[in-house]
Amino acid sequence: MEHEIQDQGGCVIVSLKGDVDLQNSPEARTILLACVERSLPVLVDLSAINYIDSSGVASLVESLQTARKKGTTLILVAVSDGAMRVLQLARLDKVFTICDTIDDALKEIG
Amino acid sequence: MGKRQAADSKMSPMSADGSESQIYDHLELLAAMGQDFSSSLDIEASLKRAIELITEYVDAEGGALFLLDDKGETLRCHACEGPTEITGLTLNAGQGIVGRCVQNGSGEIVRDVSKDAGFHGGVDEETGVVTRSILCAPMSVKGERIGAIELINKRGGDGLFEDSDLHLLQVLSASAALAIHNARQAEALVEQEKIARELELAAEIQRSLLPDPGDDDFPVAGVNHAARTVSGDFFDFFVLDDDRICFNLGDVSGKGMNAALMMAKTASLYRCLGKTLRQPGRLMARINDEICETATRGMFVTMAGGIYDPKTGIVRMANAGHEPPLFHNTDGEFIDFPAEAPPLGILPSMEENSEFPEIEIKLDGGTLYIFTDGVTEGYLEDGRELGVSGFKDLIRENQSLHINGRLNAVISMVNRGDVALRDDLTLLAIDDATGHAARVAGGKVTKGSKDKKDAGSEEAEVLLHLSVPSQPDRLKLVRNAVSETARFCGAGEDVIRDVVIAVDEACQNIIRHAYGGSPNGEIAMEICRKGEDLVILLRDFAETIDVAAVKPRDLDDVRPGGLGTHFIREVMDEVMFMPPPSDGGNLLKMVKRIT
Repeated sequence: MEHEIQDQGGCVIVSLKGDVDLQNSPEARTILLACVERSLPVLVDLSAINYIDSSGVASLVESLQTARKKGTTLILVAVSDGAMRVLQLARLDKVFTICDTIDDALKEIG
Repeated sequence: MGKRQAADSKMSPMSADGSESQIYDHLELLAAMGQDFSSSLDIEASLKRAIELITEYVDAEGGALFLLDDKGETLRCHACEGPTEITGLTLNAGQGIVGRCVQNGSGEIVRDVSKDAGFHGGVDEETGVVTRSILCAPMSVKGERIGAIELINKRGGDGLFEDSDLHLLQVLSASAALAIHNARQAEALVEQEKIARELELAAEIQRSLLPDPGDDDFPVAGVNHAARTVSGDFFDFFVLDDDRICFNLGDVSGKGMNAALMMAKTASLYRCLGKTLRQPGRLMARINDEICETATRGMFVTMAGGIYDPKTGIVRMANAGHEPPLFHNTDGEFIDFPAEAPPLGILPSMEENSEFPEIEIKLDGGTLYIFTDGVTEGYLEDGRELGVSGFKDLIRENQSLHINGRLNAVISMVNRGDVALRDDLTLLAIDDATGHAARVAGGKVTKGSKDKKDAGSEEAEVLLHLSVPSQPDRLKLVRNAVSETARFCGAGEDVIRDVVIAVDEACQNIIRHAYGGSPNGEIAMEICRKGEDLVILLRDFAETIDVAAVKPRDLDDVRPGGLGTHFIREVMDEVMFMPPPSDGGNLLKMVKRIT
């Protein structure tokens, strides 16, 4: 798994790439929570996710919950087909705000 | 000579000697008063007209009509006539001449109030009117005190009343009392009818909360007979989107409207939450917390509820303080399942996401009965209670009947229509006969085709054999192997993705739970092709786990962790823990149809 973080329009954009599985979901969790800690809206780009498992999804859920507690938001952007399938299986596609592009997500935040 | 002569024909003057025409006049007045009370919807207005008529007829300067309150503690002036407006004046029940008169139940004439110690002079002081003489007669019906009518100051002459005036007032008071009594009863009757209508409406809404009976072959049925108009019992069942059936039956403490409202709340919570929260124990705990939060007057609810899967014949159920449900198996035995948790609404859970204990029952063609104590404590024709043993006998005797027939057989024994029910009667049954028959038939088909395979034409073809250590960094290897194997069999991309998810999650479970995170275990995988099926066998060599403890997580509960088992069950067509191999460990079989 690789990742990339950049700031744009008052938001933190974090892109996760490759496989988020049991091997590296702890790392993904640390990265996501660190972004959320900044109390800025977080956009998680999942376009380059090849595979994400239940532990990866759990990291996303935990980050979303933390963001909400901090009064900010976490939006999933450009979710790949593989990631979307897992989100649907977990019935989380209705829990997360999901946008097609970074621009859409920035608009969503306003 | 005063007003008597000025009055209309109904108020014609009475002659001093009490002649026939005088009696006729009295009757006219009484009739007019009675008519007014019976035709008017406003008792207060009728009281006002009555005191006007009486004051005028007895030829007094003023009059007041006092009524006792419900508790008989105070006397309140409801209507008055004359120079002093005292409507609303409230006296203690024994205060003043009027109070004394009511207490003694006899009329009084106080010719000269200045010589009467009981006279309450407060009104005179406030109004400047001088009361010289008082006439007072109590109103009562069948010994029940209603109030009194008081007149002050005879018009003309010395302003003092005569004994004949008292006699007249007593007759008029008695008549007014009767009219007031009747009017009150009529009013109460109207109120009662209104309440009855509202109750009937409530009952109608309550009945609409019960589920529509299913088709004849629907495996779940229930009946509810209310002891009163509304019921504190309820049952419900509905089909979930995965064809399992969510059911419940509950009994609210107490009867009547408060129980009915509580029933409506609990039933609604169950139906609403039950559609998404699919673990009966968790569902029960959630409803319990909700009821505890707003519980009133120490009410509580006993409830048994769960999910029945017609495909497997398995019922998962939680019992919150309810009568033990009875399972009648195909061998004719009854097995009861006593509650392992208190009723809902008594103890809020101590921690978040707590669960009520769950029971799993494999019906295997048998029937599960859930009922309220109104059924087992219902009276039979000979006055005995039906009892649990009587219930079992009835079920045995009517075993050949359809599920609804059996329920009706029980109900008809305790609700014969001739005596009022002692308690609400509610019964729910889950009959696995149809589901079992279908499973057996399905099993035969499979067996038949397997026999054919065994005959040699279609053996399971082993495609892949793989063994990896229980380490997270080997999962990608496993995923790639599974993905390529499925692709090799001609599976589409969606199917490949799902199979990969299932195997990955199953391997994770082995690493995390079976081996407890130890990297020194071994995971063995075999993938076969059997006709259209891709069969995956996953084996570990850890301690044999308790299969019942492995259950999919409730998706309503958004929190990290525990999703894997749900994913597996969701994406695979068949998931089965096989009997543990003789040399220990665990064996999981997963099947996915490729086309």
